[in-house]
Amino acid sequence: MKRLVPTAEMTLGPFFPREFAQGANDLTRVEGRQARGEAIEITGRVTQADGKPLDNVVLEIWQADAEGRYDNADFFGWGRAATDAEGVYRFRSVRPGAPAGRAPHVNFLILYSGLMRQLQTVMFFDASPDPVLDAVKPSTLRERLVAKRQNNNTYTFDIRLRGEGETPFFDD
Amino acid sequence: MPLRVPPRDPRTQSQGVEPGYAQTARRWPSQPLQRRPHTVSELSGPSSVLRRLAPVRGDLAGHGAKRAIGQLIHLRTRVVDEDGAPLPGAVVEIWHCNAAGKYIHPNDTHDAPEDPNFYGAARMVAGDGGLVELRTIKPGAYPVPGTGGWWRPPHVHFSVWGRVWLSRLVTQMFFPGEPLNEADAILNAIRDPEARERCIARFVPSENDLIYEYQLVVRGRKSTPGMP
Repeated sequence: MKRLVPTAEMTLGPFFPREFAQGANDLTRVEGRQARGEAIEITGRVTQADGKPLDNVVLEIWQADAEGRYDNADFFGWGRAATDAEGVYRFRSVRPGAPAGRAPHVNFLILYSGLMRQLQTVMFFDASPDPVLDAVKPSTLRERLVAKRQNNNTYTFDIRLRGEGETPFFDD
Repeated sequence: MPLRVPPRDPRTQSQGVEPGYAQTARRWPSQPLQRRPHTVSELSGPSSVLRRLAPVRGDLAGHGAKRAIGQLIHLRTRVVDEDGAPLPGAVVEIWHCNAAGKYIHPNDTHDAPEDPNFYGAARMVAGDGGLVELRTIKPGAYPVPGTGGWWRPPHVHFSVWGRVWLSRLVTQMFFPGEPLNEADAILNAIRDPEARERCIARFVPSENDLIYEYQLVVRGRKSTPGMP
């Protein structure tokens, strides 16, 4: 079979419709039902090279349910949020379990004006062995992918696109 | 057969920092991107984002007294994977500016008129053959502030969900024969001329309508490499 080349990715641009960016950041509910598991909040600030916080960044996440299973009747592990004027995003979710062969984690995808391609990174809950976390080189960068736990089940995961403390991103 | 997502071919994709597009140098990572194995996490994905997002309109041109100003066009987009297999059920978000080059967005400061009958955003589901048909008006061109003369050519934004998490595609579609295409920093970030050409829609002559056809290829294939 002839292989087609995937379409070139291009920036989301500065004018992604506001109504598309809102209202999809709560993973604790799907189709009116409450997801089982430990409710958590994931929040963080997105900054660029000079440290400036970025407004209107679109972040999408993909995660397993509390038992480590993906998309199923009782849980929908996809969500979208946008940063506010302080560069802060917020998701409500449940703490994911460990999928087969993986440590608990949340996949992040970042879309923004000035990003010609989507950026992918992963948030972990601790530094347990994981084939994706362990693939990050040099190993000193791995701690940047581990969220900081605040009180009240809030996890902070800041994303530095470029510059000091730059978040490791993945190419696939 | 399980889905595979082969690495991107760098000639067919932007490499991140683009001359002529200053924001890329402030936002694209300075460090090389990391390689990771593909596990159940990257090779699964939302069955349908409509579990969390509602469909939005399917006709941006309007009817009767509520018609949007501009040239009426029919946009026929097909969503396929790297095998060329169509993706019926794929969710597609489409947005673009009005015929005067103005978006409905609080951050758009361009001094061009708004059109009360044009909204400019749709979220649709691909039908049989992966086809998404949108009736709309042709978007205008607009200047990018602070760039000393960079005008964006008429273009349409697409956001597509493919089969798995790694198949997500966000891109822009261009129109054939537009002089502004030649100098656009975003279109010309794609170095391979054939890959760049595929970002331009095909005009289909028709007696009654202006029809543009376009193909969106999302990442992922099931066929075996080397097989005919």
